[in-house]
Amino acid sequence: MKILIGLINGMISGATPILLAALGGAYTFYAGVFNIAMEGMLLTGAFFAVLGSYYTGSWLVGILLAVLGALLLALIFILFAVILKTDEFVTGIALNLFAVGATTYMLRKIFSVKGVFSNAGIQPIPSVRIPLIENIPVVGEILSGQNLMVWVAVVATFLSYFLIFHTRFGLRLRAAGYNPARLDSSGVPSSRMRALSLLASGVLCGLGGAFLSLGYVNLFAENMSAGRGWISLAAIILVNGNPLGVALISLLFGFSDGLGLLLQGYRVSAQFTAMVPYVATLIALYFYAARKRQMKSA
Amino acid sequence: MDSNLIEMRHMVKVYPPSVLALDDVSVEFRRGEIHSIVGENGAGKSTLMKVLYGLTHANSGEIWFKGKPVSFREPGEAIRAGIGMVHQEIVLIPEYTVWENIVLGVEPVNWLGKLDRRRARELVRQKIDEFQFNLDPDARVEEISVAARQKVEILTLLYRNVEVLILDEPTAVLTPQEIPQLFAELTRLRDGGHTILFISHRLEEVLELSDRITVMRKGKKVDTVDAASTNRQELARMMVGREVIFTTRRKPQTPGDPVLQVEHLTLREDHGRVRLDNLNFEVREGEIVGVAGVEGNGQFELVNTLMGIQRPTSGRILVRGRDITHCDILERRRMISFVPQDRGKMGASLTASVWENAIMTHHRLNPNLSGWRGILLNTRYAQQFTRQLIDAFSVVVSSPRATFRTLSGGNQQKVIVGRELMLQSDFVLLDQPTRGLDVGSMEYIHDQILRIRAEGRAVLMISADLEEIFLLSDRILVLYRGQLVGDLPVEQTTPQEVGALMLGGHRTSP
Amino acid sequence: MKQKVLNALIGILVALLLGAVLLVLQGYNPLETYQALFQFSLFGYYPFATTLRNAVPLVLPGLSAAIAFASGVVNLGQPGQLVMGALFATVGGLYLDLPPALMIPVLALLAMLGGMIWAGIAALLRRFFDMSEFIVTLMLNMIADYFTAWAITEPFKDPSAFSPMTPQIAASGWLPKWGEFNSMILFMFAAVLVSWFVFSRWKAGYEWRITGQNALFARLGGCDINRNFVSVMLMTGALAGLAGGLVVMGSTHRFIRGLGANYAWDGVMIAIVANNGILATFLYGLFFSAIQTGALGMELITSVPNEISQVLQAVLVLVIVASREYLNTLVEQLSARRRAREART
Repeated sequence: MKILIGLINGMISGATPILLAALGGAYTFYAGVFNIAMEGMLLTGAFFAVLGSYYTGSWLVGILLAVLGALLLALIFILFAVILKTDEFVTGIALNLFAVGATTYMLRKIFSVKGVFSNAGIQPIPSVRIPLIENIPVVGEILSGQNLMVWVAVVATFLSYFLIFHTRFGLRLRAAGYNPARLDSSGVPSSRMRALSLLASGVLCGLGGAFLSLGYVNLFAENMSAGRGWISLAAIILVNGNPLGVALISLLFGFSDGLGLLLQGYRVSAQFTAMVPYVATLIALYFYAARKRQMKSA
Repeated sequence: MDSNLIEMRHMVKVYPPSVLALDDVSVEFRRGEIHSIVGENGAGKSTLMKVLYGLTHANSGEIWFKGKPVSFREPGEAIRAGIGMVHQEIVLIPEYTVWENIVLGVEPVNWLGKLDRRRARELVRQKIDEFQFNLDPDARVEEISVAARQKVEILTLLYRNVEVLILDEPTAVLTPQEIPQLFAELTRLRDGGHTILFISHRLEEVLELSDRITVMRKGKKVDTVDAASTNRQELARMMVGREVIFTTRRKPQTPGDPVLQVEHLTLREDHGRVRLDNLNFEVREGEIVGVAGVEGNGQFELVNTLMGIQRPTSGRILVRGRDITHCDILERRRMISFVPQDRGKMGASLTASVWENAIMTHHRLNPNLSGWRGILLNTRYAQQFTRQLIDAFSVVVSSPRATFRTLSGGNQQKVIVGRELMLQSDFVLLDQPTRGLDVGSMEYIHDQILRIRAEGRAVLMISADLEEIFLLSDRILVLYRGQLVGDLPVEQTTPQEVGALMLGGHRTSP
Repeated sequence: MKQKVLNALIGILVALLLGAVLLVLQGYNPLETYQALFQFSLFGYYPFATTLRNAVPLVLPGLSAAIAFASGVVNLGQPGQLVMGALFATVGGLYLDLPPALMIPVLALLAMLGGMIWAGIAALLRRFFDMSEFIVTLMLNMIADYFTAWAITEPFKDPSAFSPMTPQIAASGWLPKWGEFNSMILFMFAAVLVSWFVFSRWKAGYEWRITGQNALFARLGGCDINRNFVSVMLMTGALAGLAGGLVVMGSTHRFIRGLGANYAWDGVMIAIVANNGILATFLYGLFFSAIQTGALGMELITSVPNEISQVLQAVLVLVIVASREYLNTLVEQLSARRRAREART
């Protein structure tokens, strides 16, 4: 039982950053932006979260700065890809590397360290204890005591679903992806929807980054996003962007993350257990491709 | 003067880098008239309308609307002012319903920006009733006919209360039977006070529908005339600048042995939908067989299965008696010349040079293009080969090294047709070989098609243009929902009959 | 051609100006910084030799990415292919001991084999299961990272070392040096030449190019798209793998942690700024190497952290690519305006 609860809790915290980033990517997916900058946005968010939290002693400021930092990246993306019409793939790759370079540079410039910055002064994002529920066995141990950001991710999932499928904004957002010419001719510039989707992406990736450095762990390390942005991209592709599907698939990846931690207890090399989420992505991709092939031939 | 609703004065428009699309054009449109703008492809008629609509911007000139100078930066402003345009290619969102397409951009909402679906649907239904358009607001656009999609486009503008409707070649996608209905709707709109600007190059229609007609040629306005006081010959002369022959140059000729034989060809796709339904036909030496049909009735799949992009579910394809149903594409290309319908998507690489486009397929079949052990490419011979093609098909180009994109549409098509005909295959498959070309290039390509017929090669030509089909074909096949509903010698049929078959009607007894 | 060079120069200038603004904002003197940057990378025998040597692990993955992208293959697996190549060469160097004339080619071939195998996995997954090589190569990068980390902590660990690394490879596998010039650079020159030759003189290269521009056209023209895809994957994997092998043979002589650094991703960026041209990739590779090499010296003099070079690189990529596309449309618009003026008079 203990193992199972540990596994579920591991799954939830492993899923949260992927879910937040993937939700951000869902907006750009529907708006028809080939956004591969989630990796960089997560990393930037993680760095600024630590920066804000360490200097002000407030995790809230940390979250705020994380969102602003990721938004800055989104703005650069908008400047180049939406306004100057630079290739989106190129912009994304360059921004990811910009994020790696800039965070490493600032890590040295501001904190004068290489590799990792960890300090007791970094205020983590608190966990939420739910008074009555926490006493219920099993369910209580899962529902209560989760990090605040986990609940933010849950809310963000349903909010995104509502926004994308039931509002005027959503109708226009999806129109920008399906047929931008139609949206343009209806009097709404599709470039505006693309820009908005990138901003949404920035906010959510910023939150995901903040969770990485102030919730999942309590430090900043070079390149700590470790491919989660790419996994979230895979998650979006696998479920065609649907936020509820994104949540499910993120849990799956989170599960493999938790499983990796569990396997370490059985003396499997740490390097192999760390591979599990990436192998899981490949397996998910295999089933996705197989299903697509089947649909084609049926 | 005050009866003029719109005046465009001295419009000049150059498309970068140096295509002069509008050369000092001045034209007036009156309130409550149907005013047609005619001209060849590239005459500037669409550009003139796009400038009026704010979709593109003139380099100089002024536009007056209701007595005031206007300049629309984007279509949204034009629509708000009361001018709307329906484009040649219908731009709708297939995944959305009819009402979602129509309200997009002016959606009724309630709290928090939540879509008010019920009200939106109701408003759209009211408009449909008001203009008697016979549409289901809840149908998905991907499931409705092309004619219905066009109505959705028009209704989108009426929903926004435009007074001026611009229609860019709306009949190009319709069958002869659907056109009268559109014309009746347009006439009704005019009688209700709307002004209609109608772009076309089909003179019969223009004469039937319009009050006045403006003729354009090579970016200039030739004249504006009353429809009642002109005729087809006169319009054609103004449009082309010389006398035009509307009759065929096809000489009688007896076809020889069959080259292409299609037997029981069937293609079933996702969810069991039948795209090609038991097709049986053959194309013989020295014969041009035209394939008519409303777009999306199996032409695409027919080309794909013939070329090996899609595998048929059952049936056989034979060329010169050899079963090629399961051959790979290269094997087919030894026997089939193929001119696809979309130059940029299937027929060429726009960013490559002319010679790189010219040697495609030849590079595998012509040993002169091979260097050391077939691994290297003989680039010197490639240049020479391209020069031969340029000379033989009178392509206007500075050098074989020029980028393909810099060629005009007509010259691009000449390179593609030349490349394919130089393969010397017995069977030639042409998919919309003259789509989007000017009259000169079109006539040139038609001559080439007739030449290969005279050489005794077999030609299968798919075309959306019934006029072209009747001009060139010996026999006409009609496709409807993947079925062959007609196989008619051209002498024994009429455009009306073929049109009826295209819409799923049955062959009328002659 | 002239316009291409002009575009590149304008792009570089704008990027350096932007970089200068960044430097000023942080209180550094940009002129002094740039002067130091280029002093330590280009001017002089030693700096130039270092720049050339450091260019090797940038140019090779750059060529790999350029050929892949130009052929329409989204191989982003250079990081993984590079470390796998390095691992193969290292293992070969640990267990083989041949005369140098044989040893060096054998290790180089092993490195290429390592890269090819890793790229080949992605090629097979795409070929037989239709799995997009884009995500697959990215995931394989992470897996290769952990796999090599495991290899140097467990089976091949140097027992005398405190941190995970392999023992040194046999000295016969070390690449010879002539003064400051490391023979690594010969491999780089050879790779550039071979890549250019294959890409622009082979029939296969012609088909790759056209496929990259318009796959459907190439397919209808009779090119074997699937076979070409696999060969491009293997060739680009080999190039990236060779880069890893050369790093081991020419500089570290063993597999140490973080051996791949950011080489491969830098290579991808270089291919992108070079618009996937072979020669341009080589030149931009040298330029990026100059920036990275100079940054280390610059830090000594100006106290600007050398990581600024990474920021500068990303800015360069964005500005050069954006200005390339922007300038083209600008030139066309200007000539259109001239034409319109002619029409009016």
